[in-house]
Amino acid sequence: MSADDATSDSESVAQMEAPAVSGTPKIRVEDVVKTFGRITAVDGVTLDIEEGEIFALIGDNGAGKSTLMNILSGVHQATSGSMYVDGEAVSFSNPSEARAKGIETVYQDLALMDDLDIATNIFMGQFPMKGFGPIKYIDWDETFERSGEIMMERLGRDIDLNTEVEFLSGGQRQLVAIGRALAFDPEVIILDEPTSALSVDATRLVQDTIETLSKEQGITIVIVSHNIESVLELADRIGVLYQGQLVDILDPSETGLEPLNDLMTTGTLREGIRGDD
Amino acid sequence: MSTEEGFIRSRFGDTDDAVLTLLDNMIWPILGLVIVGVLVFVPQTLRNVRSVQLLLWAAVPLGLLVLAESLCLLSGHFDLSIGSIAGFSAMFTGMLLGTCPSCWNVVSSPWIGFGIILVAGALIGLANGVMIARVGLNPFLQTLAFLIIFEGAKTAMQTQPVTGLPALYLDVGGTPNFAIGVLLVAFLAFGLLMRFSRFGQAVYALGSSEKSAREVGIDTSRLIIVIYTISGVLSAIAGLMLTGFVGVVPPLIGEGLVFQAFAGAVIGGISLFGGRGKITGALGGVILIQLVQSALNNSTAVGATEIQMINGFVLLVAILLYSTQSKIRSRILASGSV
Ligand SMILES: Nc1ncnc2c1ncn2[C@@H]1O[C@H](COP(=O)(O)OP(=O)(O)OP(=O)(O)O)[C@@H](O)[C@H]1O
Ligand SMILES: [Mg+2]
Repeated sequence: MSADDATSDSESVAQMEAPAVSGTPKIRVEDVVKTFGRITAVDGVTLDIEEGEIFALIGDNGAGKSTLMNILSGVHQATSGSMYVDGEAVSFSNPSEARAKGIETVYQDLALMDDLDIATNIFMGQFPMKGFGPIKYIDWDETFERSGEIMMERLGRDIDLNTEVEFLSGGQRQLVAIGRALAFDPEVIILDEPTSALSVDATRLVQDTIETLSKEQGITIVIVSHNIESVLELADRIGVLYQGQLVDILDPSETGLEPLNDLMTTGTLREGIRGDD
Repeated sequence: MSTEEGFIRSRFGDTDDAVLTLLDNMIWPILGLVIVGVLVFVPQTLRNVRSVQLLLWAAVPLGLLVLAESLCLLSGHFDLSIGSIAGFSAMFTGMLLGTCPSCWNVVSSPWIGFGIILVAGALIGLANGVMIARVGLNPFLQTLAFLIIFEGAKTAMQTQPVTGLPALYLDVGGTPNFAIGVLLVAFLAFGLLMRFSRFGQAVYALGSSEKSAREVGIDTSRLIIVIYTISGVLSAIAGLMLTGFVGVVPPLIGEGLVFQAFAGAVIGGISLFGGRGKITGALGGVILIQLVQSALNNSTAVGATEIQMINGFVLLVAILLYSTQSKIRSRILASGSV
């Protein structure tokens, strides 16, 4: 199902407590708790992420965004609670198990290798091989062809794949990192702070790309971000974390900078501030 | 929706592109210049096929050490102990095989000798790798310690030339064409390995960013151990080749070679900071260093004592070249990108 199928008020607070039951969400997180020693980083979060939507997770420093994201991507394991992908119960003990279920993560530092070219970066660690018998070697033609397809057809960028990544701008680097995620043919891409260090132009570029992936290619996107403005433009739904708890899920068209700021910093909305500002 | 950001097909002007390509392949024009210089000033160095053969033969041990150092440098590491590993493993194996009065002479088969020298190099390299990747020691300090330890151990074993080695054991490094063949095969094999194997690309990834390499799923500490082990084995083969070249194990074997190996790798375009450089370039570096060496030996104007000093200058020039190169790169980078 798509986000459009949801009833018009499915994003309201009331609905959030009893998540929509129509259809199977792409990812379902149920009562997930994560503690580090005495700190409860994620405190009983229940959340449905629908197929093909752009779901943004916002919250103040230490709210638990990265922790929740890391549970989805298999970096951390939940202390309690359950997780479902396409309705099937899963638990990831490492990122490759999440990958096997079609979940890719683009980390904040992007994990690029500056000295190496774009194509090599995209396929590092998973090069297509060819050869005869026991002798296998990297198929560079295939590597370049497939990176070209990813950059050109999926990200819409006419880019010289021989360019070393150190020559790229911030926005282009982000795209290459997304390209690497796409090389695994994922159904879900989780992005940690994709626009945090970018100029206005570059933010626009990355937002457009994310939008295309979601709306035209049906990929489910989860964004972790501080950048409320960018999230308001981009997201289909915005989940607000406060001290490890999911305090609200909002529709960007029905909220604004101020209420979101308020929610992030205090966990509640002041009277009369809800709605368009 | 394609903003200018998205287009970088012609990222720089053609001149910048040409300069970048030249910087990456700087060794070849330099080598060309040096060859011309040698032909003009010390022509007997390259008089005929025989003298070229001699030159390449003499380059074999250094070549293997440059290969070892290049591998370490490409991975963002380095190994100061390569010359010392070459010397120690050659001396240790020589003592076991040799029939000289002070030798141990407990092994007579040259084949066992080959096995011992390779295993000795591998074990020392492995120890380097484990100390750096698992124990977390700084590569500089770890390999410096091993340089001192194994040079000391070598001197403790023997201060006289080790003689009476089996003929076959000496033939490997003592037969010019065979030795040159070993060097070329080693470079060819590593050239292909670096370009076409996952291992090779992982080495570049590690050298470019250890953190990123780990994040894309490369087992970096295992890789570091493998790299130092290979470096040890290549160094041991260099020791074997030196033994054959000289015909005995000289007491000073391997000493000071690490600096020439660095110079060869760096002049050949291998980055001191990892991630950049080609194995073919390193081979060019080997030839260049050996050419300078032989020309100096042949030159009547330069005495043996001055050669060491000139070697130091060559290393300095290599490093200067490298830093100029990276300055130009970063200037282009700053101006060229979107
Ligand atoms: N590995 C860890 N060990 C101990 N405590 C941790 C660990 N990771 C996170 N925490 C704690 O859990 C809480 C939530 O952290 P988290 O990184 O998820 O927040 P965040 O919302 O991503 O914050 P930021 O915006 O600063 O990135 C914080 O109090 C943090 O100190
Ligand atoms: Mg975080």
